[in-house]
Amino acid sequence: MNSYLSFLQVFGGASLLLYQSFHESFRRPLYFKLILEQIYMVGVKSLPLVLITALSTGMVMALQFGLGLEKFGGKLYVPKIVSLSIIREMGPVFTSLMLAARVGAGITSEIGSMMVTQQIDAIRALGTSPIKKIVIPRILACLIALPLLCAFANAIGVYGGMYVGYNDLGLDPQFYMQKVFQTITLADYMSGFGKTFFFALFIAVISCYFGLNIKGGTKGVGTATTKSVVTASIFILVGDYFLTKFFWIIEQWLS
Amino acid sequence: MAVIDVKNFAKSFDGKPVHKNVSFQVKEGECLGLLGGSGVGKSVVLRSLIGLEKPDSGEIFIEGEEISNFSEHQLIPIRTKVAYVFQNGALFDSMSVFENLAYPLREHTKLNESEIKNRIHEQLTEFGLEDAEFKSPSQLSGGMQKRVGLARSIIIRPKVVLYDEPTAGLDPYNTVKIQEMILRMKDKGVTSVFVTHDMPSAFNVCDRMVLLLNGAVAAEGTVEELNKDPDGLLQRFVRGERA
Repeated sequence: MNSYLSFLQVFGGASLLLYQSFHESFRRPLYFKLILEQIYMVGVKSLPLVLITALSTGMVMALQFGLGLEKFGGKLYVPKIVSLSIIREMGPVFTSLMLAARVGAGITSEIGSMMVTQQIDAIRALGTSPIKKIVIPRILACLIALPLLCAFANAIGVYGGMYVGYNDLGLDPQFYMQKVFQTITLADYMSGFGKTFFFALFIAVISCYFGLNIKGGTKGVGTATTKSVVTASIFILVGDYFLTKFFWIIEQWLS
Repeated sequence: MAVIDVKNFAKSFDGKPVHKNVSFQVKEGECLGLLGGSGVGKSVVLRSLIGLEKPDSGEIFIEGEEISNFSEHQLIPIRTKVAYVFQNGALFDSMSVFENLAYPLREHTKLNESEIKNRIHEQLTEFGLEDAEFKSPSQLSGGMQKRVGLARSIIIRPKVVLYDEPTAGLDPYNTVKIQEMILRMKDKGVTSVFVTHDMPSAFNVCDRMVLLLNGAVAAEGTVEELNKDPDGLLQRFVRGERA
């Protein structure tokens, strides 16, 4: 019962924060410099981690499927299976989980420390809005950076699969890429890519919410950071099911 | 007309009432000392004066405007004329001292960058902080951080300044420096509320004092009145006797 109430509290609080951010984003001024700084922190600085994750995912999947399917003579299906899995699911979900861990934790601990040292109060006392100064730049940065990171992750993941296909499974790279382009449709790409906008909102809003609602001093910063990463990850994983269904309905409707 | 008028202020935390009925006024140009034991909620009252806390009931008037139900957006003009000096400075640790002082100027004035630079130089010189301009807050001592915090709060020349224990934990030199700055602000006609446990500082800078006890104002008077009544509640508090 207690955890159910906590979930409702987080869901309600985060929704309210999202509403306030949306509402305030129409009021001037909008701090473009802060948004650019956050895009750098969220996007550029996360790129190595995301690329390593995507590369290893693509390589491991190609190896596992290759070795497994070889027994049934299905090695030639590796490009199709690996690329489809990466583009539709693994790329967006793994990139988002990595971002939830790296960026979500960073946002919560940074805002939490600012709360503890009264810097957020100082922003308010100096006649400015923490939503505009802190929350909106982080939401916009995640909304811009995560889809781009996902696009890079998709490309590198497919490349990782092709590399293993060539080196360990003896598949010709040209054949590999030909199969990838034959298999992947725009609908496949967009169903994975489209999810990242929702995942970006989950990460940014939840991590800002936990940061702004710190209780218990510096110990609270650690607790809130853990909760933020766990909650954002759960939202990504559970949300992925519903978003997959949502995009599947759209695909059906369009076709 | 009183610049600050608090009427029947009540506030509780987690169901525990901290303030039941607090009322007081601060006149223009006056410095009011807000005294009371630890945990009586002096800072809560002070924070409520610029809307950082909302009262459960009661009214807070700033220059005749009732602000207790104001939204964050409506509070912006109030916060440009009422400055708050935080106990530990609350400096932005990701910015240099210069950037900290430039923050309110860039937000609330139309000064260009060279005018901002001049204003900051002027302010830092006045506060004896010329060498700290490009340092980060973590490179400053506690006393310097408080002085920079004070400088940041008053750089846009507010009408009212709220001081939250500005001399707490400071050595005598920095305490005197802070007192001098507060007195200088007073000479310029700035109204102020001074929350403190530092009685010598309170007697040096305040015109009038209010003692909070059991969630209400227990005693109130000018420094002269207090000195005349050695057995009064406020005098006993000042002497360290249980009120």
